[in-house]
Amino acid sequence: MQGSDHSVVQAVLAGNKDAYGALVRAHSAAVFRVAFRIVGNEADADEVVQEAFLRGYQRLETFQQRSGFGTWIYRIAVNCALDRLKQPQIEAEFRYGEEGDPEERTVQVASPDTASPERLLLSREIRGAQQLAMQRLTATEKTAFVLRHLEDRSMNEIAEVLGVDPNAAKQAVYRAVQKLRRELAPLRGTA
Amino acid sequence: MKHLNEEELIELYYDEGTSAAHVHLRACRECSTLYDGMQRDLDSVKTAQVGIRGAEYGERVWQALSPQLIAYEKRPAHRLWWAQWKSAAVAAGCAALLATAFIGGRYWERHTNRTTAVVNANPPATQRVLLVVLTDHLDRTERLLVALNHADSSDRAENGQLQTEARELLASNRLYRATASKAGDPAMAAALDRVENVLAEMANDPNLTAEDLGRIRTDMNTEGILFDIRVLLARTPDQGSGPKPAKGASI
Repeated sequence: MQGSDHSVVQAVLAGNKDAYGALVRAHSAAVFRVAFRIVGNEADADEVVQEAFLRGYQRLETFQQRSGFGTWIYRIAVNCALDRLKQPQIEAEFRYGEEGDPEERTVQVASPDTASPERLLLSREIRGAQQLAMQRLTATEKTAFVLRHLEDRSMNEIAEVLGVDPNAAKQAVYRAVQKLRRELAPLRGTA
Repeated sequence: MKHLNEEELIELYYDEGTSAAHVHLRACRECSTLYDGMQRDLDSVKTAQVGIRGAEYGERVWQALSPQLIAYEKRPAHRLWWAQWKSAAVAAGCAALLATAFIGGRYWERHTNRTTAVVNANPPATQRVLLVVLTDHLDRTERLLVALNHADSSDRAENGQLQTEARELLASNRLYRATASKAGDPAMAAALDRVENVLAEMANDPNLTAEDLGRIRTDMNTEGILFDIRVLLARTPDQGSGPKPAKGASI
C-alpha cells in the first residue's frame, strides 16, 4: 500500500487532483477513528477528517517519501484534533455539567439479578462517567493518553506528534492515567 | 521490600516495565492487588465505542473535499528532472558548507586554545555569552512561574500574556534541556525537563481558566520548580563577577 500511495502522491503533484481521492478513500476510516477518540463526538471528528485531508493536500509537496502517507496524514489529523480541542466552544462543551460534589456522581450499584433495563442504565452511566473523566484531561494529556492507550502508539511517536520530548509525553500519559483513575474511583466495583 | 509506585505500575501495564518490576509484581501480593485495580480501570476505558463509519465514508469525504482543491500545476518531465537535480545540488552544497564549518571550527578551536592557554585562564568569551543567555532564560522562567503563582486567574488578558510567554520559553527550554543532557548535567536537565512540562501545559491549554491555572500550580508543584530554578540561577556565574568557572552545563 505504501508503494502505491507514493505513486499516487506523485500523480497528484503532477497535476492529477482526482488521484488524491484514492488516498482519501483509503485512509478516511483510520483518520476518523483517531479524530473521534480525541475530540469525543462525530460531528467534530468529521470536520477534523475534512481539515486533515485538506491540509494534507496543501502540504503534499512537503511529504517525505520515506514515511507512509497513512502515518503522515494520521499525524496531521492528530494535530487538527488537538487544535480543535483547544477551541473555546469544545472546551465549553467539555465543561458542561462537570461541576458538583464527586460524591453525588457516585454510581449506585445494581444487584446482579437486576432487570436488564437497569443494567443498561448502569452501563450508560459508567460510559458517561468515563467520557466526563476524559473531558477533564487537558488537551495534551488527552491526546497523549488516546494515542498510547487506545491507538497503541509508542512514546516516541506520541512525542513526535505532540512536538515534545519523549519524557514529557510519558509524563502526560501518566498524569492522564492518574486523573482518570481518580475520576473513575466511584465506579469501582460497579462494572 | 520496596513496593512499586504508580508510575512503575503504569509502565508495566503498557509493557514498558523493567524485568525487576515484573519479578516484584509476581512476588508481591500488595502490588499485584493494586495492579489488578489499575488494570480494571484502564481496561474499562478501552471498551469505549467509536462511531462506526462504513465503506462509503471515504467517498463522502472526497465528494465534500474535492471542490475545495486546486490541482497542482502540471510539471513537465524535464522540470521534474531539474527539480531533482536542484535538490541534489542543494544537498551537496549544504554538506560542503557543513564540512567547511567543521574543519574551520576545529582549526579555530586549536588556534584559540593555544592562545588562551598562554594569555588567559578565563573561560572563553563564547561560553560566558551563552551562560548569560541561559541565565536570561532561567530569569524569564522564574518570572513566569512567579506570575503564575500570583496570577489573578479571572483576568483573561493576563492569562493570555502568560500563555504567550510560555510558548516563547518552551522552544528555547527544549534546546537548553537537550544541551544540558548532552553536557552530562543531569540536575540541570531534570530541572529543565520539569519546567518544560509546565510550559507545555500552559502553552497548549486553549483558554487558561482559573481552574486550569490552579490545576497547573497544584499538579506540577510550581513552587518546587521555582525553588529548583533559584538553585540553578545561584549556580550560574554572575554576569559581572569575573572569571568564576561555571558548574552548570556550558550552554
